[in-house]
This record gives sequence, structure tokens and C-alpha cells, in this order.
Amino acid sequence: MGKPEVRLDEMTREEALRYLNETMVPEEGVIPAYILSDPTIYKLEHEKIFMKTWVLLGHESEIPNKNDYMLRDLAGYSVIISRGQDEEIRAFYNMCTHRGMKLCRADHGNKANFTCPYHGFNFKNTGELIGVPLQNDIYGGKLDTSKMSLNKVTLGTYRGLIFGTWNDNPQPLDDFLSDFKWYLDIGLGRTEMEVVGPPQKFIVHSNWKIGSDNFVSDSYHTMVTHGSIAQLGMVPSATYSKKGYQVHTDNGHGCLIGMPNPDFPFPEELKDEYKAHLTPEQYDLISNMKNLIGTLFPNLSILVSHTKVKGQLVSNTTMRLWKPVGPDKMEVMTWFMVEKNASEDWKYRSREAYILTFSPSGIFEQDDTEVFTDITAAASGVMPFAKQLTYNYTMGMHREPVTDFPGPGVAYGDKFSEANSRNYYRYWLNLMNS
Amino acid sequence: MSMEMMLATYEFQQWLYREAKLLDDIDFDGWFALMHPDIKYSMPVRVNKEGIERPDYATDMFAFHDDHHLLSLRVERLKSDYAWAEIPPSRTRRSVNNVRIEEYVPNDKAVVKSYLLLYRSRSTDIHHDLVSGERTDEFLYVDGEWKLSKRFFVIDQTTINTRNLAIFV
Repeated sequence: MGKPEVRLDEMTREEALRYLNETMVPEEGVIPAYILSDPTIYKLEHEKIFMKTWVLLGHESEIPNKNDYMLRDLAGYSVIISRGQDEEIRAFYNMCTHRGMKLCRADHGNKANFTCPYHGFNFKNTGELIGVPLQNDIYGGKLDTSKMSLNKVTLGTYRGLIFGTWNDNPQPLDDFLSDFKWYLDIGLGRTEMEVVGPPQKFIVHSNWKIGSDNFVSDSYHTMVTHGSIAQLGMVPSATYSKKGYQVHTDNGHGCLIGMPNPDFPFPEELKDEYKAHLTPEQYDLISNMKNLIGTLFPNLSILVSHTKVKGQLVSNTTMRLWKPVGPDKMEVMTWFMVEKNASEDWKYRSREAYILTFSPSGIFEQDDTEVFTDITAAASGVMPFAKQLTYNYTMGMHREPVTDFPGPGVAYGDKFSEANSRNYYRYWLNLMNS
Repeated sequence: MSMEMMLATYEFQQWLYREAKLLDDIDFDGWFALMHPDIKYSMPVRVNKEGIERPDYATDMFAFHDDHHLLSLRVERLKSDYAWAEIPPSRTRRSVNNVRIEEYVPNDKAVVKSYLLLYRSRSTDIHHDLVSGERTDEFLYVDGEWKLSKRFFVIDQTTINTRNLAIFV
């Protein structure tokens, strides 16, 4: 490929995509730096990925009661997710169908109706317009309110996770999750799980893909980036993160499974519940598992972490969204999840471990965001594009998948590899071409 | 305000200014020595609520929820060779103001509220971060000194505009 004569923002869409396909070869581990910073790439991925695929909105346990609602956004658009009087969960674009004002501006609450602050149009939490001030007088009885229901968002749920999409003809959620469900079950569905408290939100000056990529395949960085954890004695050694499996499935999803583990870092009393929710193979795996780290394409990462706090081993489970805010900016949302039927003491200790390790103050989290920020800065602007700077994603290309792993997908018997990233970026590139 | 309360207000202002100075000077051991062994150091997640419903922060989720041991881990970590989030250390500038005494028992216990405006600058980054909020602090008098036994920091942003909380509030 030749040196580009013009910047991506000066090319037509077709030229920009052609250039992307020439310069990005995931199969060979060649990823150009500009995809982490270029505004044209950012715009294209908003249209071709975030407007088309399934994106996580939250968890059913966040709105447990009738008329509970929460505000989230889907590809940057505010969405009200509400549990109706009939227990059904629905989602609507947070825009009054009269003149477009936001109907709701609280993070969560309990309401059967939403009233627009602009002209007082009133909508039921099923989306119907049920009240218009002075309707008969000013519209002469001619306003067809049945055509003014809130704009509905297509939802899909799996194991309590609520996904939404703006795509009118989406791939069924079940097909999109596909084989990765086996791993989601272990991570977030091993028993009835609940979200505790509101999600934490913070802004990082980083491209969102670095977070997804870090969780999909990168156990290698933990030795150095998280070296302090070994020094503090919270994990046994700096190389603790190498042993285990790296697995990926179709649609860009992938995870890392740390094992073996002589300890059972979950609530002992829930073993029977785990067995009831999981297959024997899944239960066998979780019984020997140290941790599980993964990314569901495009931007949901899950984590079952296992650390020693106050001399006691305890796991904590979290999920996080790397929400794009700009080419070089994302909002990180993190949820803490816990086994609903665990003891209060165990829940307390697990939350304590989460806050210490993976909340915004978390001593793992902190060092990651520092790295993400600097990578983004280094990828930004004219020079990395003009000089055609690329990243090396060839780690583990010499390895063959293992055949004795019990789960679906392509599994490697060592966590230090970039196979999952190559798979992630291959799918990203497919969607960009779609 | 009585003379006693004026003096006490001055005393706690000076305590908080000294604390801010220790943190801004990256003297974490000096700062940690101000903590009471029963310290409860917490920062709830701030939320947007309908109307004037209170409290407008979470009672079950926190950005910090530390006791003496967990705070000491954070301090030890910052002194390790791998605390990348603070290498080089952030330049911070803590402005403490609106100091008000809510409860005061001389030589025993005090509850003090204050506002904190924290400026943070990282490395060569020309952006700066601002963290603003209100603290409710409890002090216990031990061996002739006031030690911080409880801090409850309510931040003013629901989406925190700083990359992490590798710093103390």
C-alpha cells in the first residue's frame, strides 16, 4: 500500500473504507494506530457498529419493581427503560413526540407516567400518549394521539442483561450472543445475580476500543501494569495471569479464563444453586477458576476477579461499558454484581473488594486508565496516520487451538496471546464493511 | 458565635489546611498518620433524582469505602514501583473552605463540614480535572491530637470527570 496522499476526512466513504481495508490486516496482526483516533473512523463505527448491533443498556435487577425506570443511552441517545404495571420491560427514546424535549432527566425512579416539561404532554410507561393539556380546545378534537406514542427501542434480554438496538432488522440477540452465552453464564448467570447500587461513571480521555481490546485478550499487561498488586500480596505472583485459557467465538466476543485454582472464591453455600444454573462442564470449570475476563462485542466487558483482601480470598463480579463520547474520549460505566442469595457478610466483602480493585478508585482500574489515555494520545493527529504507524498483534500466532477444552469457540491453552484481539478486530472490520 | 466555637473553627480549619498541604506535597505517610484507627473513609456515587427527593447519592455504592487497613493499602501501593496512575504524581491543589462545625465536645469529638475544590494536573496533559464536593468529617481526640475518624465526601458530579481516583479526597 502506498502512502496516503490525503487524510481520511478528505476521502469519500468508499475511499476511506478501501484505505482501512488496505492498512488493517487483523489475520496478520497488523492494526493501524489511526483507528484509535481518527474522526472519520469514529463516525463510521458509530453508524455501522453502534447503530446496528446490540449494545448493553443495563440489568433487570436495576428496575425490580413495577413502574421502576432508569435512564441509559444507546449509541449516544437517551433511552428510558421502564418496567410496566404488567412487569414487562420496555424502552423508549427519551424524546417527547410533540416537540422533542427530554421527558425524563433523573437517573432512575418509580413512575407510571412521564410528563414533558415543555408543554405537559403525558405518556404512560407503555409509551402511549394519554394526556395533552387543553386538547379539545386547541386541536379541535383532531389530534390523533394514537400516532404519537413514544418511539420504541428494540430490546432483547439474556440472563437479566438488557440489550437494545436501533437496528430495525437486527440479527436475533440469541444468534449474536451465540456461543459466548456459555461464558456469559459463568460470568454473570451462574446463579441469580443482582446489581448493587447505581453504576459508577467516569470520563477517560481514551478511545473506547482500547478498553474492549484490553479485556478481550490482554492478560499479558497484568504483570507490569498491575505489578503493584503482586507487591501488595493480593495475588500470588506477577506471572499469575499467564496460566489458563484464551477463548474466542464468532461475532468478535472473547474471554480469558484463569485456572487452575485450589480455592473456591465464591459463596460455599451457593454450590447447589450454581449446579442448578450451569451444565456439569461449566460448573467444573468455575470450581477451578481463578478469574474470568472478557468482552462481548462491541463494548461490554465482564470480569470475575479474585483477590485476597484482609487475608481472605473473595471474588467480585463486575461488568463495564466503554461508551464512546468522541474519538479520544469515553465514559466508563461500571456495575457491581453479586449473588442475590449470598450472605450479607459475603456481599459486603465482595463489594469491598470491588471498590478497592475495579471501581474508579480501584487499584487495578487506575493503572489501566493511565495506559489507555497515553495510547490514545500517541495515536492522535496527523503524524501516526502520515507515518502509517501500526501495532503488533502477532502474539500467539504460532499456537494451535487446544481440542480438550469443554467450552465452545476457539480455545488456546495459554492466556498470553493476541488471538482474541485479532478475532475482535476481524469482526470490527467486517461490520465497518457492512 | 462564642469565643470557644471561633477558636475551635480556627483549629479545624488549620487541621484541614495542613491535611491538604500534606496530600498536595505527596506526603502520604504524613497524611495517613492523621487517621484514627477506626477511620471510615467513604465517597458515595452521586445520582440525579426526580425533584427534591433526598439523599441524592447512593447509600449502597461508593467510589471509596475504606477502613484503616484498606486506606493503608492504597498508601503502600502509591509508594510501590508500579503505581502508574501516579507516576509522575499528579499535581494537586486542594482548596478547603466553608468550614463549619456541626458538633463539638472539647477534647473529645467534633463533626466538621467543609467544601473541597480539588485541581488535578497529570504529566504533560494540558487538560486539568476539577473535583468538587462537600465533606462531612468526624474527629476524635486522642493523646492530645484530633484524628480523623470518619470522612464522607459527596462529589458534585454524577459522571466523574477525572480518569480515576488514584488521589484522596
